Amino acid sequence: MSEPICKVCVIGAGTMGAGIAAQVANAGVPVLLLDIVRDEANRNAVAEGAVAKLLKTDPAPFMSKRAAKLVETGNIDDHLDRIAECDWVIEAIVERLDLKQALYARIEAAKRPGTAVSSNTSTIPLGQLVEGRSDQFRRDFLITHFFNPPRYMRLIEVVAGPDSDPELVARVSDFADRSLGKTVVPAHDTPGFIANRVGTYWLAVAINAAMDQGLTVEEADQIGGKPMGVPKTGIFGLVDLVGIDLMPLLSKSLTSTLSQGDPYFDTVRPLPLVDRMIAEGYTGRKGKGGFYRLDRSNGGKVKQSIDLKTGEYHDSRKPASLPSGADRDLGKLLGVKGKVGEYAWTVLSHVLSYAAMLVPEAADDIVAIDDAMKLGYNWKFGPFELVDRIGAAKLVERLKAEGRTVPALLEQVGSGSFYRVEGGKRQYFGLDGAYHDIVRPDGVLMLEDIKRAGEPLAKTGSAALWDVGDGVACIEFTGKMNALDGEVMKLIQQAIPIVKDRFKALVIYNDGSHFSAGANLGLALFALNIAAYGEVQTLVVAGQQALKALKYAPFPVVAAPAGMALGGGCEIVLHADAVQAHAETYIGLVETGVGLIPGWGGNGEMIDRWQQSGQLPKGPMPAVAKVFETVSTATVSKSAAEAKELMFLRAKDGITMNRSRLLADAKAKALSLVDGYTPPAPPEFKLPGASGRLALRMAAEGFHKRGIATDYDLVVSDSLAEVLTGGEADLVDTVKEADLLKLEVKGFMTRVRDSRTVARIEQMLETGKPLRN
Amino acid sequence: MKSVVIAGYARSPFHPAHKGALARVRPDDLAAQVIRGLIERSGVDARDIEDLIVGCAFPEGEQGMNVARLVGLLGDLPLSVGGMTVNRFCGSSMSSIHIAMGQIQIGAGEVFICAGVESMSRVPMMGYNPLPNPALAEKMPGAYMGMGETAERVATKYQITRETQEAFAVDSQKKAAAAQAGGRLNDEIVPIQTKNGVVSEDGTVRPDTTAEGLAGLKPAFDKDGSVTAGTSSPLTDGAAAVLVTSEDYARAHGLPILARLKTVGISGLEPEVMGLGPIGASRKALERGGIDANALDVVEINEAFASQALACIHDLGLDTAKVNIDGGAIALGHPLGATGARIVGKAASLLKREGGKYALATQCIGGGQGIATLLEAAE
Repeated sequence: MSEPICKVCVIGAGTMGAGIAAQVANAGVPVLLLDIVRDEANRNAVAEGAVAKLLKTDPAPFMSKRAAKLVETGNIDDHLDRIAECDWVIEAIVERLDLKQALYARIEAAKRPGTAVSSNTSTIPLGQLVEGRSDQFRRDFLITHFFNPPRYMRLIEVVAGPDSDPELVARVSDFADRSLGKTVVPAHDTPGFIANRVGTYWLAVAINAAMDQGLTVEEADQIGGKPMGVPKTGIFGLVDLVGIDLMPLLSKSLTSTLSQGDPYFDTVRPLPLVDRMIAEGYTGRKGKGGFYRLDRSNGGKVKQSIDLKTGEYHDSRKPASLPSGADRDLGKLLGVKGKVGEYAWTVLSHVLSYAAMLVPEAADDIVAIDDAMKLGYNWKFGPFELVDRIGAAKLVERLKAEGRTVPALLEQVGSGSFYRVEGGKRQYFGLDGAYHDIVRPDGVLMLEDIKRAGEPLAKTGSAALWDVGDGVACIEFTGKMNALDGEVMKLIQQAIPIVKDRFKALVIYNDGSHFSAGANLGLALFALNIAAYGEVQTLVVAGQQALKALKYAPFPVVAAPAGMALGGGCEIVLHADAVQAHAETYIGLVETGVGLIPGWGGNGEMIDRWQQSGQLPKGPMPAVAKVFETVSTATVSKSAAEAKELMFLRAKDGITMNRSRLLADAKAKALSLVDGYTPPAPPEFKLPGASGRLALRMAAEGFHKRGIATDYDLVVSDSLAEVLTGGEADLVDTVKEADLLKLEVKGFMTRVRDSRTVARIEQMLETGKPLRN
Repeated sequence: MKSVVIAGYARSPFHPAHKGALARVRPDDLAAQVIRGLIERSGVDARDIEDLIVGCAFPEGEQGMNVARLVGLLGDLPLSVGGMTVNRFCGSSMSSIHIAMGQIQIGAGEVFICAGVESMSRVPMMGYNPLPNPALAEKMPGAYMGMGETAERVATKYQITRETQEAFAVDSQKKAAAAQAGGRLNDEIVPIQTKNGVVSEDGTVRPDTTAEGLAGLKPAFDKDGSVTAGTSSPLTDGAAAVLVTSEDYARAHGLPILARLKTVGISGLEPEVMGLGPIGASRKALERGGIDANALDVVEINEAFASQALACIHDLGLDTAKVNIDGGAIALGHPLGATGARIVGKAASLLKREGGKYALATQCIGGGQGIATLLEAAE
């Protein structure tokens, strides 16, 4: 592929443009962010203001402070000629054809031939955008439609025009995939592309049906949320999140561009309640409230819902539970008598039929539609996967019984399913009536594909060992939330001789959203409630032994975390020779939150890396104090880049932007370590002993006085301090790794026996929130 | 005994630690520039300088080794000039003046530069390796008590309300802002060269401070306490220096005499109320000088915290109109090792500027001490 993308220009510093610029910077690529001149005194004020806002936004658009420095701000009057420096220009200005066309004319004059230009439009057809432009410009032009927020939403819809240069489209798509971490879904140049076309229709149908069928917003979201694999915001909660005022705009845009006869027109009707809400500033979370609001009068925070009939707010009421199984099984949900089943059917039958109609109009195949909805709207299942869960035949049968139109594709699949597994490969149903393998892009390796095709090399109750090819084995956690327990440690011990005999290297990875939320607390609580302290200690020691066995194994071990890697999950990462982390890795030693301290060797590993870092002053305290600060406050990194600052990752560890490429990258990293691999030597520590422990206690007491640390925080942090400072160690002593592990067990077991720790664990399991006792 | 005088005073601008304009300046470089400035402004012949005595509260890292000698070399002092680092925490550079005074009086030299420096951005309070003695902590917990907590104790003991502390802080900010706006701080400030250009003004003063604004701050040290960031001196980067000579030398060489050093005092007390240190120390100095507090025309008392400054003003019976005329450390900042030189130099300058006979400079010291210097007009 010619000319890599080394510099990007984003024009339009609104929410989307600025967010896209931040993600380009997160990829380590310099970016020029331009907007109009609005203030003569500071001609770059608009773009500068956008960056200032990015820095204050939560969740953070930037992954690190370093990334923020890669965004250079300017304005289109003074700096447009600088797009000659750029390899890709992304236009993200307001959705007005005349303004976009005028801007393109200016871009055309300034750009180099072959520099890609793309629009982030979500509504304007590509054909109209390039009207009046040269052949060269048309070759260089495409639509790249990001989703909000650009850092966190994985979808990008890429629309190529008839004149777009395929090589250039491939170059931009590859950058979006590898550098920006997005899943590229090729879409056709049709109104709303894929995700917003289906999504807008879905929301309209679901809102109308709730009103028609007399459901409350709570009931609609209960049925239309989790049971359908939709995020818990449900329907009305989602509209509140994106902004109720966007609804009429989206509707207007779609009705002005869709062909007559599109089912979307049937959903369009006057919604006096919505008009009134917008007029009165109830535009959702960004406004005074929406279908839901938080009532802060009387100093409290009470969740309220709007009455769809009267428009009055009332305290939200949790609807009665769905009948057993209906929250998971769509067949059961549809079979529930009364308004639950009726509403579910109305929403699903319309949305799934609509999606089925969009192939090949909006996308080449069903996979693109499913991917778009899963990645652009965070649906757990795509529309065609939902059809499979109901059964295409059942769906068609009921549609026919109601005399409704059955889309050709649904008819065509007949009694079959849209997806199937054949010869260990997942296949999808094509328009030609045949099944086709779902082919992963180059460099994408998913464990699910390997698992589908074979059997594990070893397996315990909570983990498995797989052959991921090229002489690399992979440990996968399989428990709920990938929780860690004795079965995981057993698998690690079983894996070591297998890998030693038959493989070159080991990676620790799973396909889950989260690498591991840490030790299985439920199991721990059970043991503590029956005072099975011996068993708990055995597990702690077994964990230490397994992790040290990994560390000193005669082959390279690479951990590949993504999402949360907390507590014990973090400790596993700390024991790997190297890490290949997904950019969105949230890692930390959070044990103190449940009244514990790290017990699987994490303390020593953290001290060792700070001492080796060369970043701290000499002496026994600086590394210990750093670790104390990070661990006693249960600090979790908000990105892999930040994990490097916190030393959970080392400078040499790799970061993969695209989640789907993590396993392949981890494998490559592991193989790169094979030649001449020697296991590390155990570290030795010079620790400050009782004086250092006192210094840490004094620091903690300061936080306690200020009301930041609780009474029990002081006790827990002192246990942590005792380990980190080496217990009774004297400055002149050398503390061995094994000594520190013994101290760790002692400190851990002391805390485990404290009822205040048990209370913390109980609350965490019950509410997911830490107890501040 | 030989008469000893302050024949020059200079300091760097003071800037808040971490975020201020001096955060990226090494403390040794900072002090060297101030000393060069002092020598140039006073016109003293550097070859006559006996010793450079530098106070520093956490003398390690970039302000470690024997930083005084290194500052002298950085500042191109003649190689014949000595260098000694002094640590008495916040009283460090005031002690350096006392040492010079004694040396002159025993005939061990005629000219001394007494300086102080602290980069609170670059060397943390408590240093890099705090290793308190567990046995002492057991025997006397106050020995290692945090300064904020001692300020709370003083506030409680003297029943100084939060409002009173805040009114004092607003006053300090107003006086400093007025002095800054009126150009009355310009003469004492040596512009500092940094990588990002020359810094020539204090960055610590907050002219827009109001009682209402301060009332909104959370307690900084104790959730139930009354001391806030607004009524405490901020962490600060800065350096200060005074030229101390025998009066004979100053007159013989036509140096501009600011004031005569009359008496000094050191006094220890319970560490838990270290902020009251100036009371005992000042009483000693006043008694040794044979004068009463109401004879003072100028007082510079370090505002480590509003609570302790108010308590000392009360017990010493000071006239508030004469205290910290150009603002105190709450507004200007408190670079620990540098403050003593600043307030002695400032008190001497003010005595000359405002007229009058006596001036007092005094400060409290962590661990439970006070230090004081009594000056008299040299005319």
